[in-house]
Amino acid sequence: MSLPVLDAAEIAVLGHALHSIAVEMGAALRRTAFSPNIKERRDYSSAVFNSDGDLIAMGDDMPVHLGSMPMSVSAVLATLRLAPGDVALLNDPYCGGTHLPDITMVAPVFLPGKAKPAFYVANRAHHADVGGMYPGSMGPCREIAQEGIRIPPVKLMHAGKMDSQVLAILLANVRTPKEREGDLTAQLGACRVGVARMQELVRRFGHARLSRGVCALIDGSERLMRSVLASLPAGKWQAEDFLDDDGVRPGPIGIRVTLRNDPRHRRAVVDFAGTDPQVPGSINAVYAITWSAVFYVFRCLLPPGAIATAGLMRPVKVIAPEGTIVNALPPAAVAGGNVETSQRIVDTLLRALAPALPARIPAASSGTMNNLTIGGIDPRSNLPFTYYETIAGGLGGSPVGPGASGHHAHMTNSQNTPVEALEYAYPFRMVRYALRRGSGGAGLHRGGDGLVREIELLGDAQVTILADRRQTQPWGLAGGEAAAPGKTTLIVNGVESVLPGKCTRELPAGARLRIESPGGGGWGVNQ
Amino acid sequence: MTRRPNQRLIIAIDTGGTFTDCVYRADGKLEVLKLPSTPENPAAAILEAIEKIVQRVGANSIEVRHGTTVATNALLERKGARVAFVTTAGFEDTLAIGRQARPSLYDWDLHRPAPIVEEHSCFGLRERIGPDGAVLHPPTKAALKELRRQVQSSQAESVAVSLLFSFANPAHERAIESALASLGLPLSLSHQILPEFREFERASTVALNAYLSPSMASYIGSLEKGLAKWHARLSIMQSSGGILSARSVAREPVRTILSGPAGGVIGALSVARAAGIHRVISFDMGGTSTDVALLDATGEPPTSTEGEVAGLPISVPMLDIHTAGAGGGSLAWIDAASALQVGPQSAGADPGPACYGRGEHATVTDANLILGRLHPAHFLGGAMRLDESRSRRALGSVGGGFRSVEDLAEGIVRVANARMESALRRVSIERGHDPRAFTLLAFGGAGPLHACALASALGIRRVLVPAVPGALSALGILHADLRREFSRTVMLAPGSPRINTVFRELEEEARKAFHAEGSRPTLTCAADLRYQGQGYELRIGWGTGAVTRFHRLHARAYGYADSTRAVEIVTLRVQAVAKTRRPKQPQVALKRGDGQSARIASHRVFEEGRWRRAAIYDRTLLRPGDRFSGPAVIAELSATTYLPMGWAATVDGSGNLLLTARKSKLNSGVPR
Repeated sequence: MSLPVLDAAEIAVLGHALHSIAVEMGAALRRTAFSPNIKERRDYSSAVFNSDGDLIAMGDDMPVHLGSMPMSVSAVLATLRLAPGDVALLNDPYCGGTHLPDITMVAPVFLPGKAKPAFYVANRAHHADVGGMYPGSMGPCREIAQEGIRIPPVKLMHAGKMDSQVLAILLANVRTPKEREGDLTAQLGACRVGVARMQELVRRFGHARLSRGVCALIDGSERLMRSVLASLPAGKWQAEDFLDDDGVRPGPIGIRVTLRNDPRHRRAVVDFAGTDPQVPGSINAVYAITWSAVFYVFRCLLPPGAIATAGLMRPVKVIAPEGTIVNALPPAAVAGGNVETSQRIVDTLLRALAPALPARIPAASSGTMNNLTIGGIDPRSNLPFTYYETIAGGLGGSPVGPGASGHHAHMTNSQNTPVEALEYAYPFRMVRYALRRGSGGAGLHRGGDGLVREIELLGDAQVTILADRRQTQPWGLAGGEAAAPGKTTLIVNGVESVLPGKCTRELPAGARLRIESPGGGGWGVNQ
Repeated sequence: MTRRPNQRLIIAIDTGGTFTDCVYRADGKLEVLKLPSTPENPAAAILEAIEKIVQRVGANSIEVRHGTTVATNALLERKGARVAFVTTAGFEDTLAIGRQARPSLYDWDLHRPAPIVEEHSCFGLRERIGPDGAVLHPPTKAALKELRRQVQSSQAESVAVSLLFSFANPAHERAIESALASLGLPLSLSHQILPEFREFERASTVALNAYLSPSMASYIGSLEKGLAKWHARLSIMQSSGGILSARSVAREPVRTILSGPAGGVIGALSVARAAGIHRVISFDMGGTSTDVALLDATGEPPTSTEGEVAGLPISVPMLDIHTAGAGGGSLAWIDAASALQVGPQSAGADPGPACYGRGEHATVTDANLILGRLHPAHFLGGAMRLDESRSRRALGSVGGGFRSVEDLAEGIVRVANARMESALRRVSIERGHDPRAFTLLAFGGAGPLHACALASALGIRRVLVPAVPGALSALGILHADLRREFSRTVMLAPGSPRINTVFRELEEEARKAFHAEGSRPTLTCAADLRYQGQGYELRIGWGTGAVTRFHRLHARAYGYADSTRAVEIVTLRVQAVAKTRRPKQPQVALKRGDGQSARIASHRVFEEGRWRRAAIYDRTLLRPGDRFSGPAVIAELSATTYLPMGWAATVDGSGNLLLTARKSKLNSGVPR
């Protein structure tokens, strides 16, 4: 029997069709979810995988989920046998997850007459609360058991029917069960959309042709990355950068990387040997996050419009020693590894790459997501609420031009919650949302400015801030200056006090919180 | 000329970068007039056209319907008014911060476009309205006075006001309106332009409106002055595909950003429907730009309120159209890397391509002339003779070391096609649609010249060139309905009596607005619904069972529904439409012919490296049922069609040209 051959046209159409299925799943999730994190801020990802669990398409969502989504699918394939209509659920960072609020669902795509799934679709969303010590589940814990409910790969759906017992356990462990249930239903709906669209695609292409096309896509990605590595100089580059602290003990905490490129064999090795050991506070990153950060940096080196599949990272080896903050082991707390440490890993990698690519690499960007979580009882309804958002900062100046102000950098790109959406949904009043002028580093190309966001509480609430670059500063490059560090100010009865970067406080109605995010570093000597 | 002074004459006029196209009906027959545009004062060409038409057919009552690029150009070239932006104190940077996301995940040098309002012209007023419309903090008289002083000293030419929660209670925006009234500046108030929630998207829309309103008002003013002697009524095409009176548009120019391209989409839809073709990609190539859209002719054209132009959100309804900056007038040049480039600079209407007699620089049109795809004596129905020696001189000065002028000309056409091909990919392949399942509907002055080559590249087997392709946008404007949406964000539960109250208010507003337009609208109520706590809504026709239909649509669109969850009514909408009567297109019986009687000359064309013999056909002499093969040039007043080797043309019963390829001519590899 001759193998069905796809022409270059069909492969291109297939690549875009798979991508648009991932995008459509994401849109279904965004448009039906209840957490502002998902619906307004777009803190979610969706992707399509082949029968081996290799990534074949991903939406243009959160870079930090890039590498960890495939690991979630692998974890599901290793522990469960999925039947038609089943959907797997997990959030365990030590089993393919990132941090507990990120809940992932994986659904198999079955074709008529086939016993095994032909494809998988998956989506992940950051839920506003998954229990634990602090509302919003992003607080300064000391072990993962304090951070919230931990879910290994389990089936939430059996043959199209919800497992109400699994759901009951989950909802009993969170602060806002009704909202959680809504978000989970939205994720299930997005899975259904993905499965249906994949089945349509199989009907259009035929299974055999589609499988061959998918192989061609993955191989094409690999060739693309190899051609990029071939165009980089040969060499070995090293760099280090620091997190302020872990919110428990004083810092700083070092990340160290050695990057080796071998253009002749078209491969690269990224080795984090020498990075500091894991810490008691919650900024430990699991391996999936470190891998994602490396993936992100290499993806930035690709020509625009490249299709992302598992093939891209075949030529890049990522070594992260176990028991360090870039490959933490249980029972380390990990909530901030995903959001803070991931950014610092990127900063460190870019610093290493700067001598290799002096015309491409920018100065450090704000380097923190300024995670703010607020929880309590809404006095308007007497119902519990939890709220989570991240605040953008300045981008680093680059060889091309100045850095942008008030832009999210690198591993996140979540939007802000509109003030009007926020005040409808929560007992807050936004007082100010502005550029933090002068916070970018000076240089030939200035770093961008950070933001100021000031919120007044209309009811008593517990407020948690998880932020970095409060002591260390986003560095300048090629003679440019460092940016202003971030600052969190608490205002109670008109009295101002500065809060540590990572802390939690119980605050009365009327209290205000002012968060000033760091700018970006400057690039080049200011003449 | 016979004059029939009792006739009511409707003239549709589409102003392009190069030509001003007019369509009107006289004695039941569609007539076309094409004049060079006058970009410095677009009204001049329009008034000249009307003068000519009235002289030709006479009329005692005239209605002019117009598609304009005044707003589009002002935005794309950033030549709008100096705007003062007024918002709630503490939120002056709303336009600069946007949604705090970067436009491209993997390119740190790509930033959001700069706001259209200067940083020092953004002003905060100390006032506050709560989400429920309650006044939390009224503005003081002193603060309003200070605001007036700030706006005045900013030397603003136009003012945008968008306060937090203005749609829930417009009192403070009204207070600003009266405080600033004495400045005599045009005011764009958010509770009037877009009374919907999400402050950044609303502010962006309102600021753009302010940015565009002085130029639009003066443009409409000069048009109306010119039209006064005929007592003509003027309406303008909106981005939504509906028309609206010039008076309303002068206040809300943000609704006309896609005015010109929208006419093309409505025209393409009516042609596709009449020809019984369901899936088309419209390909509208003019002198300066090319607009493409993917259309399903069985439904209404899709509009969105989540649109963006030049990276700036515009939340009023717009058709889904993609634009590429290449057209017949695009200039050819050699870049620093010694590569041939085409556009984005354009020769425009003045001086125009070199062959028009004034320009000195090589354009795509000059290349087409050299290649024989345009005929010097049969351009614009012979109304303008093209000067090939000028084209050759212009191409000769491009440089780049080409073997011959013909080789360079082929290169120019190929590079221009590559740019248009990527626009066609954007609306088809990149959204998961296989272009091979579509018919390419080519129009605009240059669309039919390039359509077959593009179809080949994308594997599209059929191209449709409508009758009067160079004036299809104008035809769409002629056929467009009078249309306007009235909306308000309310955040209510389904049973609330406020719903009907607000609907009645919106209907009253709609009736009043249409009464001022001299017509009576059909009103349709719709509402944006969601489960309480969600962030996005589904639009549902309002009436009994609306909530049930919402559950159903939610299940279909998103894979689930939950009838136990509370439903929230976010925004109420009243769509007002007054239909335009469209005369049925007569179908002529097909009679098998070979087009010989339309063959007016023989000619030679340069294709694939050498000269070949080709025929020139006069489109007006072709009859339904005629069939012939390429290479051939089909000339007519409004455009020229080029039929390459290996392609065949047939004429259908409505006078459309259907061009089909032999399979070997198609590129099986839609590359990349």
